Amino acid sequence: MRAFPIAIVAACYLVVPVVLGSNDYILSLVIAALTLAAIALSWALLGNLGGMVSFGHAAFFGVGAYTSALLAKDLGVPVFLAMLAGGAGAALASVVTMPALRLRGPYFALAILAYAQIFRILANQMTGVTGGAGGILSIPPLPTVFGFDFSSKLGAYLVILTLLVLGILAYKAIRDSYWGLALKAMHDSEDATRVIGVPSTRLKAAMLVVSAFMAGVAGAFNAHVIGFLEPDYAFAGTWSVIPVVAAIFGGYRTLSGPILGALVIYLLDQLLFKTLMPQGHQIMFGVLLGAMILFSPSGLLPLLTKPFARFKPAKRTPTPEKRHAAAA
Amino acid sequence: MSELVLQSLYAGLLAGGYYALIALGLTLIFGTMKVINLAHGEMVLLAAYIAYTAESVYGINPVLAIPLAVAAVVLTSVMVYGLVSRIRQDRELNSLILTFGIGIVLTNFVLMVWSADIRSTNVPWFNEPVVIGEAFYSTSAQVLFFLAGLGLTAALWWWLGRSWYGRALRAVASNRNAAMLMGVNPRTTEVISFVIAGLLAGIAGVALYTVAVIHPDLGHNLTIKAFVITVLAGLGSIPGVLVGAMLIGVAEYMTITLASSALQELTGMVMFLLVLFIRPSGLFGSRGRVG
Repeated sequence: MRAFPIAIVAACYLVVPVVLGSNDYILSLVIAALTLAAIALSWALLGNLGGMVSFGHAAFFGVGAYTSALLAKDLGVPVFLAMLAGGAGAALASVVTMPALRLRGPYFALAILAYAQIFRILANQMTGVTGGAGGILSIPPLPTVFGFDFSSKLGAYLVILTLLVLGILAYKAIRDSYWGLALKAMHDSEDATRVIGVPSTRLKAAMLVVSAFMAGVAGAFNAHVIGFLEPDYAFAGTWSVIPVVAAIFGGYRTLSGPILGALVIYLLDQLLFKTLMPQGHQIMFGVLLGAMILFSPSGLLPLLTKPFARFKPAKRTPTPEKRHAAAA
Repeated sequence: MSELVLQSLYAGLLAGGYYALIALGLTLIFGTMKVINLAHGEMVLLAAYIAYTAESVYGINPVLAIPLAVAAVVLTSVMVYGLVSRIRQDRELNSLILTFGIGIVLTNFVLMVWSADIRSTNVPWFNEPVVIGEAFYSTSAQVLFFLAGLGLTAALWWWLGRSWYGRALRAVASNRNAAMLMGVNPRTTEVISFVIAGLLAGIAGVALYTVAVIHPDLGHNLTIKAFVITVLAGLGSIPGVLVGAMLIGVAEYMTITLASSALQELTGMVMFLLVLFIRPSGLFGSRGRVG
């Protein structure tokens, strides 16, 4: 890690609490934005490293939320342990979705969407376990550890920030590893990578599990912060839509794109769009998504850094997209 | 019990007629341009709300509002084409995300204009019972739009297979450059396919409004239903759409009768996944590769 990212993370831990620590409203907005950033990061990990676009990350978010909430409430599992189990539950749920790995891009995206719907209906129907449409009330909040109350806004902020940093480190570790290289090669030509002996399906499956785990932990965190769950909330389309918008907006091929995207999109939505248009303010998500795909499919970050790109030495090899375009 | 099963079989087949209407436009675009229009359900819903406004504000019978609904949806559909055709790279996936965004815009537009309330028609004729042979019950709206579904499926099949533009469209789909050499303008044919998809979505919307109830969140479900039917039918197979729609209809009504109405949606989703995993080319598809 270079100095700049470390400085930003340090600022998030030290400066933000001092500046915003007393403003509960802004802090709760930031917590929600960081939760979405965590899902967006997990979505981008699957999209960038695994090469798979998902339209149903709500499936993993919801399973994580329910697993953690039920373990903590009914079995008295300590909350932080339950959150970890929530991630594991979502990872387990991703195993159920693995037949979809055989499907190509758009089919995979829509198959995961179907899974999210199926999970939502099941959560509604399994009243014995989930409480059905009535939902679960009074989910245990984040605990007090060593005298520090994590259920406060500041505590929750530090928890989600830590989860996000861990997520970034995991993403980075995978990306820079031998497997990350194999995944990158797979993105250029899956058949060629198979030929030289890379178990591409197993690698994709691993990315799905990691992504589901991250989304599940985010869901678990959210459940303990909100303290209430119902199927139509835990598996809501929002949890699938916002990560896509955020990651595409920020640039899903970069590490910081999805996180910046989630922060910008969510804060814009809550502070600006919602006050301008009380009903239907999510229309702006659609507009932003469409505009990004049309004008800068690789996201906002490349768009912002493009003016500076000409000061760098030009690359000799064309990008894969350009090669494909030339071939077609 | 067997009467109930027979009745749900009948109701399912009738529902299949208007499900086919909902799916045809999506199938057409998907089969010819390989673009999955995720805003399709929202376009159907837009037509339904226009029919609602025509009825509740101006007292026009929803069926007579079809031209208005169709005009609005065709315009939307052409705009969708205008945006989709601007995509240069990785069109299959980027058009999916783009139309997903258009769907969000349309859903929220509907929410802003018509609010989140549930609407349905108040014209009594649509809900009059039609009884066949003392055993099979339905409403006149169901019968009307079942027949419309049959008729329009046949018409689309004929158009795509026999008419000049239909053949031009298939030519562009199979080899764009060769079609251009044969004097076919690919952009014109693609615009026409979006116009026809809009036309079908417009009629489907009015059908939806008279047969069922509408609310702004429905668009997403309609898109999924249309896509399920399209996959079930097999890539671009028009008669397959009718059969697939009827299968979904029957499966849904059987689920309602034998299990519970809460599981209706589950049936469609499970069938969708099963078809994708077991027979990805659909029931009537020529060998299309999805895996």
